[in-house]
Amino acid sequence: MAEPLHAPAPAAGAGVPLLDVQGLTKRFGGLVAAKDITFQIRAGEILGLIGPNGSGKSTVMQVIMGLHRPNAGAVRVVGVDVAGWPPHRIARQGVGIVFQHSRPLHRQTVLENIMLGLLPDKLLKLVADRHVREKARQIAERVGLGAVLNRKPGTLAFADLRRMELAKAIARDPQVVLVDEPFAGLTSTEVHAFAQLIADFRADGRAVLLVDHNVKSIASLADRVFAMYLGERIAEGTAEEVTRDPTVRRVYLGGGIDIASRPTRPARNAPLLQVTDVSVLYGKAQALERVSIHVDQGECVAVVGLNGAGKTTLFNAISGLVPYSGRISWDNSDLRGRSPAAIARGGVVQCPETRELFGEMSVRENLDLAGQHLTEAQAAAQLEWLYDLFPRLRDRERQAARTMSGGEQQMLAIARSLMMHPKLLILDEPTLGLAPVILEQISNALEQLRNTTSITVLLGEQNVTFALPHADRIYVMEHARIVWEGEPSAFAAEVAATYL
Amino acid sequence: MLTVQILIDGFAISALYGLGAVGFTLMFGVCGVLNLAHGATMVVAAVTAWVVAGQYAANPWVAAVAGTAAGVLTAFATYFLVVRPIERSSSVPAAEREIFVLTGTLLWGIMIQEAVAYFYTDNPKTVRPLIAGIMQIGGVRTPINELVIAVICWAVIGLLWLLVNRSKAGKVLLAASINPRALSILGFELSRVYLLVWTIYGVLAGIAGVLLATFLGASSAQSSQLTASAFSIVVLGGLGSVYGSLLAAYVVGYLETLTAYLISPTYRTVPALVLLVLVVYVRPHGLLGRR
Amino acid sequence: MTDTIRALLTSRSVWIALVVLVVLSTLPWVVSAYILGVLTIAYYFGVFAMSWDLLFGFANEVNFGPSFLIGSGAYAAGLLNAHGVPMWVCLIAGGAAALLGGVVLAVPALRLTGPYFGLTTLVAVLLLQQFIIIFASSTGGEIGLTMNDILSTEAITNYWYALGFMTVCGAVLFALSRSPVGLILQASGQDRIGASALGFNVVKHKLAAFCISAVFSGLAGAMMVFYLGTASVGTVVDVSVGVQVIIAAVLGGRRTIVGAAIGSIFLILAGEALRPLGQLSTFVVSGVALLVILFFVDGLMGLLLRRREEP
Repeated sequence: MAEPLHAPAPAAGAGVPLLDVQGLTKRFGGLVAAKDITFQIRAGEILGLIGPNGSGKSTVMQVIMGLHRPNAGAVRVVGVDVAGWPPHRIARQGVGIVFQHSRPLHRQTVLENIMLGLLPDKLLKLVADRHVREKARQIAERVGLGAVLNRKPGTLAFADLRRMELAKAIARDPQVVLVDEPFAGLTSTEVHAFAQLIADFRADGRAVLLVDHNVKSIASLADRVFAMYLGERIAEGTAEEVTRDPTVRRVYLGGGIDIASRPTRPARNAPLLQVTDVSVLYGKAQALERVSIHVDQGECVAVVGLNGAGKTTLFNAISGLVPYSGRISWDNSDLRGRSPAAIARGGVVQCPETRELFGEMSVRENLDLAGQHLTEAQAAAQLEWLYDLFPRLRDRERQAARTMSGGEQQMLAIARSLMMHPKLLILDEPTLGLAPVILEQISNALEQLRNTTSITVLLGEQNVTFALPHADRIYVMEHARIVWEGEPSAFAAEVAATYL
Repeated sequence: MLTVQILIDGFAISALYGLGAVGFTLMFGVCGVLNLAHGATMVVAAVTAWVVAGQYAANPWVAAVAGTAAGVLTAFATYFLVVRPIERSSSVPAAEREIFVLTGTLLWGIMIQEAVAYFYTDNPKTVRPLIAGIMQIGGVRTPINELVIAVICWAVIGLLWLLVNRSKAGKVLLAASINPRALSILGFELSRVYLLVWTIYGVLAGIAGVLLATFLGASSAQSSQLTASAFSIVVLGGLGSVYGSLLAAYVVGYLETLTAYLISPTYRTVPALVLLVLVVYVRPHGLLGRR
Repeated sequence: MTDTIRALLTSRSVWIALVVLVVLSTLPWVVSAYILGVLTIAYYFGVFAMSWDLLFGFANEVNFGPSFLIGSGAYAAGLLNAHGVPMWVCLIAGGAAALLGGVVLAVPALRLTGPYFGLTTLVAVLLLQQFIIIFASSTGGEIGLTMNDILSTEAITNYWYALGFMTVCGAVLFALSRSPVGLILQASGQDRIGASALGFNVVKHKLAAFCISAVFSGLAGAMMVFYLGTASVGTVVDVSVGVQVIIAAVLGGRRTIVGAAIGSIFLILAGEALRPLGQLSTFVVSGVALLVILFFVDGLMGLLLRRREEP
């Protein structure tokens, strides 16, 4: 039984929306990950769902896929409410998904991987229908994998692995296609090719949902954009409208870029941290490409860039958590070969994006642990100083870390890193998901830190407005590369407009 | 009379089970390793104590220390020869690491068991009680040794509690069971933490093995049964939960004693097994397990 | 269809299997009846190991107590036969009993993750063992059960039965592993979410894998006790039996089916060859298996097929 490869394309916008999400709400314990989300995608339409980490966009996608059951709301695929269905049923109802990270079957060839997407869910299929192989071949050729059909995924280039994911997603000819971070890790030529493939999906008459961190990467493809923050809708419209929307700008840029009152810093000292030509590969994906930065004694250097640009990877390389090529030297000695613990003890302490707190332990216990490398007296003094810096922590000394609010947890994470008396503090996205009032408190603490100690800070932030007042110098990262370097004053003039 | 006897016997055997189980669950909670050479480790400790007491005519306490030391050495051997190489091996896919460690420790346990049987036969070995003699408790004649065992087990468990909750090293262990990566970035070498855990494990298993030798005797043929008992108790109590293991040890210990006295010694292990099946079906993470 | 035949003809595993089979077929004219007897046991173990490999290598479920399934089949057949039921009915009943056991194992498995499932399978074996010992009056307890019928009194006939049985089971299991069903199983085992997203009911397929593994194990267990003439805890239920099965499959090479059979033959022949060492033979075999796990992760088949494997 031959099935057409392309679904007949109805007039775009006509009839029942292929994907209709109404009032979708999802809670995880006390956390509301998505609240009352409503949107529709019609045949031949591409909707971009954007938001920073923690915005809830991934949760929405996972609910549509069937990985979670929503607490409220409906998800209709071609008119049928699939909320709460198991993923395999939703897939067969007509939803295809391209995951953010490729997940091939390593022991099977490209052709077999795609064929899998064409097989019926039967227990007794001992021999595949003849047409399955042929159809798999056609799909492979459509996405540009015709030449590598008999290779195993381990030998494929990164872009080809992504193509295979696209192929698997459309194998069952779905009406709705969900694509998570379509262009992550691709070179600009590859991005162009992929954008074309996705546009072809639209031409097929499918409804496409693109999920990504920011508008910029999908602006040219998306017909409409739906922006989320902290689980709620903050804007909806064309890509241009959303980019100009004041709430969206505030969320991403933190508001107007004001560099008015900045204290003067002492003259340049010797570079303390020197990162030279560092590259990192995650499997095949180029997470960092020949990045070079330096941080001088006493400076605060900000690395700004959107989620996925590579900031965390850079920090992880410095902290010894991921293998890298290139050279990283600290205080004139090469950090290569040292264990992460040794690097931390050597004075380079990272406060990671995920905070990595010991949830079941109390605030005091978390801090004490970090202070174990100091003498009793030093630890006690440091603790007092930190409690002055973050009074809230003193109040919640005996409270279990995981019962605290996001802002308090962030303060604890920073305090814990400071407990180690670092020479270089690496702060990765301290403002992620926090309310403006807490941001101010953390900003003040950072200010106080810099005024009272000689600490050197490397700050990674998506929120430029938070970073600017503190930074002596700024690096801008995009797609694993440094694309701009300079002083904050120059930033406002040169980069700010195109940042989002 | 019978009640008191059951209470006493049950208490002693449960304490012994508890000690073994606590080591096992600690190993899983902090290192993520299910050591299937557990029973064999206990047997090595028991047999060493027997050898030292017998061939060198040492007093039981010296033999006990020797046995415990043997337990620690066996634990180190398990870590350095089997577990660590597998965990660092690049040819084992990350997802299968756990299974390889399980199979590896299983094989290692068999090797130890067979080696012990080869040199010392698989006849049960007993060691003279640490304190000989009988005393009357509630009208029942009880070997003082049983009380000694219970006291030692609880003393050790108490020391462990103090270590984990009141000492700096203990806090590090606790943290390792929650989030090893965070410990790394706070400047703690995980390899040192693991070494500490294996040492503690060796001591616990060693003492348990020696005490077993003074109480019921131990033979290499019992290795897998001992491991299986520890498993069952730990699963019942909740993998990774020390309190759970202790609670479960007492549940199992008393179930076994009750069955042995009231029904028949042959059916000793049945109720506990049935309970285990129920738990696995109804509440897989055990009585006090985290999930 | 031609694609399938081409795939089979170019598969190195198939050629290795064929070569091995040809060699094994010539043995009755070459070796003694004693060796044939050892090999007969090895072939039944081969089926045990191949069934285990289907479950582990493909569905990614570690069964630490394959002897639960083997023993269920063996004892079901044995008990029925002791009451006069004809052999072929007993064999079918053995398969069915093991199937039931497979379902019983699958139910908690599909809800458990990590080490819990492995522990459950071990516990199942212990339970079965206790059960048999406690009801010793009917089951013969630790001494064992004597069968009323046996396959044959001739070593050579028994050899052919066993070799034939292993070949048939092997062919079926291998075909399954290379079929679309096998592909779906691999996907279900390797990447549950990915497989679901592609439209496959992972639970259904894993359950099927359990059942298939169970039926073959039980059937082989039943065949083996009809060969031996007795069913005892030590030969079909004990944890050590299960351990040997696992070692054989890993030694031979996970996820190859053929490897599991080769591993069993190698393991049992090695055990025989080391018999003069007496008690140390188990020690040596375990030691070798441990070394394989540490250094030759892909087993014998991995060594034989190495040139074709990609990193």
